[in-house]
Amino acid sequence: MPGTAEATVSFLARADLDELIQALRAGGRRLIGPTVSDGAIVYDEIQQAAELPHGWGDEQGPGHYRLTRRDDERTFGFVVGPTSWKRFTFPPTVPLWRARRDGTEVSFESAEPEPAPLAFLGVRGCELAALGVQDRVLRDGPFADADFRARRANALIVAVECTTSASTCFCTSMGTGPEVRAGYDLRLTELDEGFLLDAASDAGTAILQRLPVRAATDAEQARASTAVAAVREELGDPVMTDGLRDRLLANLDSPGWASVAERCLTCANCTLVCPTCFCTSVGQASDLDGLDSTAERHWDSCFTPGFARVAGGGDFRARPQDRYRQWLTHKFATWVDQFGTFGCVGCGRCIAWCPVGIDVRQELAAIAPPPESAARSTGVREARFVVRATAPAREPLVQAQASPAPAPVAPAGTGLDFLPAVVRSCFPETADTLTLVLGDVDPVILAARPGQFVMVERPAFPAVPISISRLSEVHLDLTIRAAGFATAELTGLGPGEGVGLRGPLGRGWPIEAAVGRDVVIVAGGIGLAPLRPLVDRVLSERERFGAVRLYVGARTPRDRLFGLDISEWGTRDDVEFAETVDRAGAEWLGRVGVVTHLFDTAEWDGSQAVAFVCGPERMMQAAAATLLARGLAPERVYVTMERHMECGVGLCGHCQLGGFFVCKDGPVFSLAELGDAFGREGL
Amino acid sequence: MGRPTTAARLRVGVARFTSCGGCQLTLAGLHEALLAVADRVDIVEFAEVLSPRSSGPYDLLLVEGSVSTPDQARRISELRRQARLLVTIGACATTGGIQALRNWSDGDAWRAAVYPQPQFIHALRTSTPISEHVTVDALLRGCPIDPGQLAELVTALLVGRRAQLLDATVCMECKARGTVCLISSQGAPCLGPVTKSGCGAICPAFGRACYGCFGPAHPANVEALKAQFADQGRSDEEIGRLFAGFTANAPAFRANARPPLAVLDQPPVGPEPAARISHGFPGVPPLTASGDDDARQ
Amino acid sequence: MHGSDLPGGGAAGPGSGDGRSGSAAPELRFEVEELTRVEGEGSLRLRMRGDEVVEARLNIFEAPRYFEQLVRGRTPDEVIDIVARICGICPVAYQMSAVHAFEDLFGVQVDPEVRRLRRLFYCGEWLESHALHVYLLHAPDFLGYDSAVAMARDLRPLVERGLRLRRAGDAIIAAIGGRPIHPVSVRVGGFSRAPRRTELAALRPLLEQALDDAVATVRLAATFETPAMERVARLVSMRHPDEYPYNEGHIVSSDGLDIELPAWRDAFSEYQVEGSNALYARASDGSAYLLGPSARIALAATQLHPLARRELEATGLADEIAANIFRSVVARGVELVHAAAEALELVEAYRPPDAALVPWTARPGTAAWATEAPRGLLFHRYELDERGRIAEAQIVPPTSQNQAAIEADLRVFAPSVLRLSHVEAQRRLEQLVRSYDPCISCATHFLDLTVEEA
Repeated sequence: MPGTAEATVSFLARADLDELIQALRAGGRRLIGPTVSDGAIVYDEIQQAAELPHGWGDEQGPGHYRLTRRDDERTFGFVVGPTSWKRFTFPPTVPLWRARRDGTEVSFESAEPEPAPLAFLGVRGCELAALGVQDRVLRDGPFADADFRARRANALIVAVECTTSASTCFCTSMGTGPEVRAGYDLRLTELDEGFLLDAASDAGTAILQRLPVRAATDAEQARASTAVAAVREELGDPVMTDGLRDRLLANLDSPGWASVAERCLTCANCTLVCPTCFCTSVGQASDLDGLDSTAERHWDSCFTPGFARVAGGGDFRARPQDRYRQWLTHKFATWVDQFGTFGCVGCGRCIAWCPVGIDVRQELAAIAPPPESAARSTGVREARFVVRATAPAREPLVQAQASPAPAPVAPAGTGLDFLPAVVRSCFPETADTLTLVLGDVDPVILAARPGQFVMVERPAFPAVPISISRLSEVHLDLTIRAAGFATAELTGLGPGEGVGLRGPLGRGWPIEAAVGRDVVIVAGGIGLAPLRPLVDRVLSERERFGAVRLYVGARTPRDRLFGLDISEWGTRDDVEFAETVDRAGAEWLGRVGVVTHLFDTAEWDGSQAVAFVCGPERMMQAAAATLLARGLAPERVYVTMERHMECGVGLCGHCQLGGFFVCKDGPVFSLAELGDAFGREGL
Repeated sequence: MGRPTTAARLRVGVARFTSCGGCQLTLAGLHEALLAVADRVDIVEFAEVLSPRSSGPYDLLLVEGSVSTPDQARRISELRRQARLLVTIGACATTGGIQALRNWSDGDAWRAAVYPQPQFIHALRTSTPISEHVTVDALLRGCPIDPGQLAELVTALLVGRRAQLLDATVCMECKARGTVCLISSQGAPCLGPVTKSGCGAICPAFGRACYGCFGPAHPANVEALKAQFADQGRSDEEIGRLFAGFTANAPAFRANARPPLAVLDQPPVGPEPAARISHGFPGVPPLTASGDDDARQ
Repeated sequence: MHGSDLPGGGAAGPGSGDGRSGSAAPELRFEVEELTRVEGEGSLRLRMRGDEVVEARLNIFEAPRYFEQLVRGRTPDEVIDIVARICGICPVAYQMSAVHAFEDLFGVQVDPEVRRLRRLFYCGEWLESHALHVYLLHAPDFLGYDSAVAMARDLRPLVERGLRLRRAGDAIIAAIGGRPIHPVSVRVGGFSRAPRRTELAALRPLLEQALDDAVATVRLAATFETPAMERVARLVSMRHPDEYPYNEGHIVSSDGLDIELPAWRDAFSEYQVEGSNALYARASDGSAYLLGPSARIALAATQLHPLARRELEATGLADEIAANIFRSVVARGVELVHAAAEALELVEAYRPPDAALVPWTARPGTAAWATEAPRGLLFHRYELDERGRIAEAQIVPPTSQNQAAIEADLRVFAPSVLRLSHVEAQRRLEQLVRSYDPCISCATHFLDLTVEEA
């Protein structure tokens, strides 16, 4: 047994396997393990050893999986099947919270996950790594998924080293198998006559002690090591992971994306069988009066049509090639930026279960060829797509921890709860836009910084991300355009009615970066809303900044927001203020034209200035170009990006933009941070 | 713009065109839920269940069945004028149904083949979706529709929010259900990867390939799936019959469907249905996410 | 297209009412432009002079769908999916007639457990269909309401009982076939998947409740006051020596007919009537006949489940069921008891079959079979070509077969309502039609491929 010199390795005879099964099930623990069902080896509840797939193997290839009969009675003589353990740690549907409305009052109650204790039997090296990858995404970040955390804490892991492989396996390239090195409670390696077993946790040791085992002989251990080493040898190293991240990001414009999109069904199978994919959406099940609703998280995929769509219908990844590119670059490049590991563990499920047999190994080789062939190709550009990356290359992935002791955790859902607030007053801004002034706001939320946002929920409606448009000691303003049913519900609210708020979320405007410098603020349309708290702050601390220039654009005079503020800004002599509309009738005496016209011929020098820009993406692109031309450094031009958000805390996967989660890493970014991602189509 | 629904009683009608009645029976199956909101919903027209009749107006008109007779073509226009919201339910109303396979035949041959005295039969040459005749506000797919989706649509309408109907492929529901993929594990000719979600992936869970009764997903890369079926050794004729099912006349399937008695390569093309789907009131976002062209909130 | 406007009216079929009268009495007309609370679109026209019925016509103007054409060129398994769509209420019956026809031709022997599952499947459809008809469509006639919705305002527990019964039936069909309407698992040779034991065991509480509800249904239906009525048509159903007829047996009649199921065409035939988009059927001697619950009870009561037979006997209405179509509501109640009781036994005894699906080889020839749909005998006949594809098809649903009997009954019944107000008379006439539970979608298509495709 490799890599465990100091551990005591035991031998369990094949005939005694049921003793292990029953020991795992002791105390009411549900045991999940492999079993033959519907023509495949799936993971399901196991009650006795006889239900395990003794004598079964599998044959796998692109779009191909068949059960085969082995010529021996091996219990684990197969590779991974269609099920992954995330079905049990991250189930397809999970209730998140209940929201209720009674008269004008609303209340929210987070679900309290109380998962039954589970044991997983037969977790392979790649699968253990996958659990570890999901730990990083869902448990170890600033916001944790309470349900996942509870399920992981309750799962005992019996890992199995692979002594057989499939043609779809590439764990060796991803550094996840076939050996099992850490992260298990019990580890098992199969020989013809029985199993080698060792424990790596107290729970594992306790189980081992109840079994009729003897010490494994050196010969047995050597045979086991040889068998596992043979698998490593057989698999070789099919994916060149050295520099893979950079190669992929340098090939975002490869014709390979369109080529694979011709074959790709965008059916989402690859993401659903993937043991690390974590994207979800939230649905609301409500009663017919909308007074009582339950929010449920369910599996989603970056291949579904609405996944990257935003209110108003814009779709950031409209084409199948955009979606495939998102998936592949996430797995093999931007995941590294986000979580320090690849998102792929080399299990090969996405190959076997792709209905048309698309093989990621081949796509990677075609789109991001290894250096020797890359040298021959043309047009390889330097990857400057995301700047904060450090590729771990072939470092072993962080392994899952063995049934981590339930740490003293904060109450479930901390940071994710919806807290009620009450509408104090409403100010219509335009025909479809309204500002709600909220009171009774939780102090945590009132402590928001300019540029942060909140998720706003009314019972029975989906939660929507709304920027905070003014902050005071007692009130919080939200300026909302009725672009959909949920925002129509919010803009229809009157004084006294309740809403739920989750937040404050996102990075705000980095005001400190502007201290002592000139400040340029550019707003387009409703983009003025998240900028107003920034303007408020800058003006209230006016002496800390150099020149302050404020440029505001709207489509028409009827679309202008915050008339009172604008009047005031226009009269201040310590602010250079200018305003324009895209088009107007004769009654409009102000300027007409796009917002960049307000400063593209101005005299000022931007080399020491900091700019804050918010508006439609095309307007921000034009503004950014003008600002850079005026000498501003990309590090000091901040824009705020819009993407589809379901959770607001980096758990649902929707709002990814290159290596960023717009919700938690943004929505404010500097141009330098965004690099190529800014303005690129299909990200 | 305010909220699109009112606290007033919702006047609901059910109209039937050419169909088997199964979709409106799904509504009857929701009766317990409907009884629970009897103070909010008046079903004023439902000839198969209620004797009292109403010719409108309706707040919500659920339309089942395809347009296949001259009378029906006239009647749907009248009904549209009476309906604030018109929602088509089921494969017949949304695509033309199995009876739309006649659209591949030439003229009156089918009528003559079935009826000894075809002159007694008044039917159009084609069976077409409601959306080729009038503007449709939302649609529910399926042969038959899914009761859960129908309940969600009615709930969403009453609450004033968008109906949350999963817009994905059948594979999405298959995987959530934990069903083993029939294509990879058996080489079955399953249409799941190009078929819209909504049924709950029943067929694969019951050991058989999806036959596309919820119609094409969006996008539906039918060419790629056909190539895979051909690689598995299936003939063009067999592949053409796979798509010649209950939603054969849906745009993404139409060019690929080859009904056994087809004399035309493709049926006459009506107006693109999606172009005629309004999804709600002016200024109010779509009722459902099942139209291919609408957006999530 | 609502009926005939041509001189001479109906075609020459039984009950089509071409009788003439020399009397000068004013003509009385009853027209129901669109029958309600029946499945499909049909109209009723009755013309009388004095006590004499000039015309009695049930017209079916449901749009034709050409199912006999849709199945041509298809494989047997495709046919099973397609014919289900003839009717949203009784898709199981269509699937069962077709599957048995093919298995008979191909010599397929299914696993005995599969045979029992098919009986259970049929129990589900009877529960669902009969409960719908008794509670949502028919009971309001007897209790003085114009709909189940109106009835629910006063008699909510009653309507809820009907809904529970339906749900039990739906649950059986969904457990075996995936969904209650157009189930997906029926294949030639068995089922694409057999339910697990636990999945059927989960139905037990529903079925126990259904049995109680069914018994209550018979007892309620027996109290309904019905008009007096005498049967004109003969009764026809299937009969099996060992079981109440669902999928197997012989075709028998009240006047001694006894033939094999595939031989339906030896004793019956179809014909077309102008103004209807359905075909009628009649016996070879030209007479009308009645199918459905009343006929089955009259001809096969000895095979009813003991609980159902006990309930039937307790009503004391066995003879009247055979004679008076208004008592069909009692017959449906008795069959609800049978279906619930048999389903419960089948569920308790269920063991998953060794082979849910047995292999088979298609062969050319004629495949013909009948099964007992909720509304009566449903006959399918297919000609298969050398490739095992459908060359010709004939599907004869119960409602087309009952049409002549309905019109015959209308002629007998009509004089008795003449002294009522027009509205009340019309209501009674509709109630009579409703007693047959006509399923008009089923009736619309058929048939006899005497005219080949151009």
